[in-house]
Amino acid sequence: MNSNKPAYNNRLGLKGWVYAGKYTFERYLYLGHRLTGMGLIAYMLLHIIETANRMRGVEAWEELMGLFASWPFKIIEYLLFAAAVFHALNGVRLLMTELGFFLGKPKEPVYPYSSSIKRHRPLTYIIMALAGLIIILGGSSLFFP
Amino acid sequence: MRETRLWSWHLLVIPIIIVLLGAHFAVMHYAPVFYGVSVEKAREFETMIERGKSITQFVLYILLLAAALYHGLYGLRGIIRELPMSPALGKIVDMSIIGLGLFIFAFGTYVTWWTFSFKIGG
Ligand code: HEM
Ligand code: HEM
Repeated sequence: MNSNKPAYNNRLGLKGWVYAGKYTFERYLYLGHRLTGMGLIAYMLLHIIETANRMRGVEAWEELMGLFASWPFKIIEYLLFAAAVFHALNGVRLLMTELGFFLGKPKEPVYPYSSSIKRHRPLTYIIMALAGLIIILGGSSLFFP
Repeated sequence: MRETRLWSWHLLVIPIIIVLLGAHFAVMHYAPVFYGVSVEKAREFETMIERGKSITQFVLYILLLAAALYHGLYGLRGIIRELPMSPALGKIVDMSIIGLGLFIFAFGTYVTWWTFSFKIGG
């Protein structure tokens, strides 16, 4: 028998990214952070290639910008903006967590338990509300020029 | 140690991205708010060249290019490397991502240089 094989296979693979049991708010933020991160890097790679169109001259550039001024692209651009705002603000929250800010002092595990995540949560709500506000305001100049 | 260093850079470049991407969105997205020009005007060929001919813009674009590429590709590498794979395949993933990053960085730098050295009217 292979001794490396676990007796119980609890590996969830890709499925574990989306759901692995009773999830907290932060776990959904993690999913959002990952999806927006992947979206942003995919966009960025295409963006460098797409903006290189300027080397093909004025007409090629204006044609491309004309395309981006159409409704479907405006909506895509707004989604990208929203993804960037969410990723950035949640990222700032992650940085603070990783550096140990706003988690409170470690305490004896006495009932009723208070976890560092719970102590951190008011800040999480404030940051997410701020992200929501910026995302809502950010649409104004794009859709109502 | 090497992994810790790579991860530290992933986090250390974040302030650069926040400032420069914030400014980039201000120019491209909030042009009517911050510059009093329409979004379309901000993205015209002439306006773009005008922007790109400034040395400050030239340096800042390359800085944003480097910082966001590093942060994004390191993040992507982390996501891919979480999947089960042999050490040999892991190496191939790392090398491909480094290759892609260097290629896009070189290409983006060239395009930014092209804009910077663009001769208006000629
Ligand atoms: C605007 C400011 C940004 C902030 C504050 C930020 C912050 C962060 C943080 C804190 C992490 C997690 C690091 C960790 O916990 O180990 C992360 C991951 C990531 N970021 Fe960003 N980021 C920003 C912009 C970007 C941009 C522009 C891109 C794409 C080019 C990007 C792509 C990614 C990816 C792909 C990950 C990995 C996600 C994962 O492992 O689930 N980020 N970011
Ligand atoms: C609302 C979305 C965006 C729009 C409309 C936009 C538009 C543009 C335009 C028109 C340029 C050409 C240069 C110029 O006009 O000055 C440019 C360049 C650039 N953008 Fe964006 N951008 C957007 C989002 C982003 C994001 C999310 C990133 C980073 C992750 C990014 C990174 C860059 C970089 C690095 C360059 C320089 C390209 C090069 O070196 O070849 N942009 N952008």
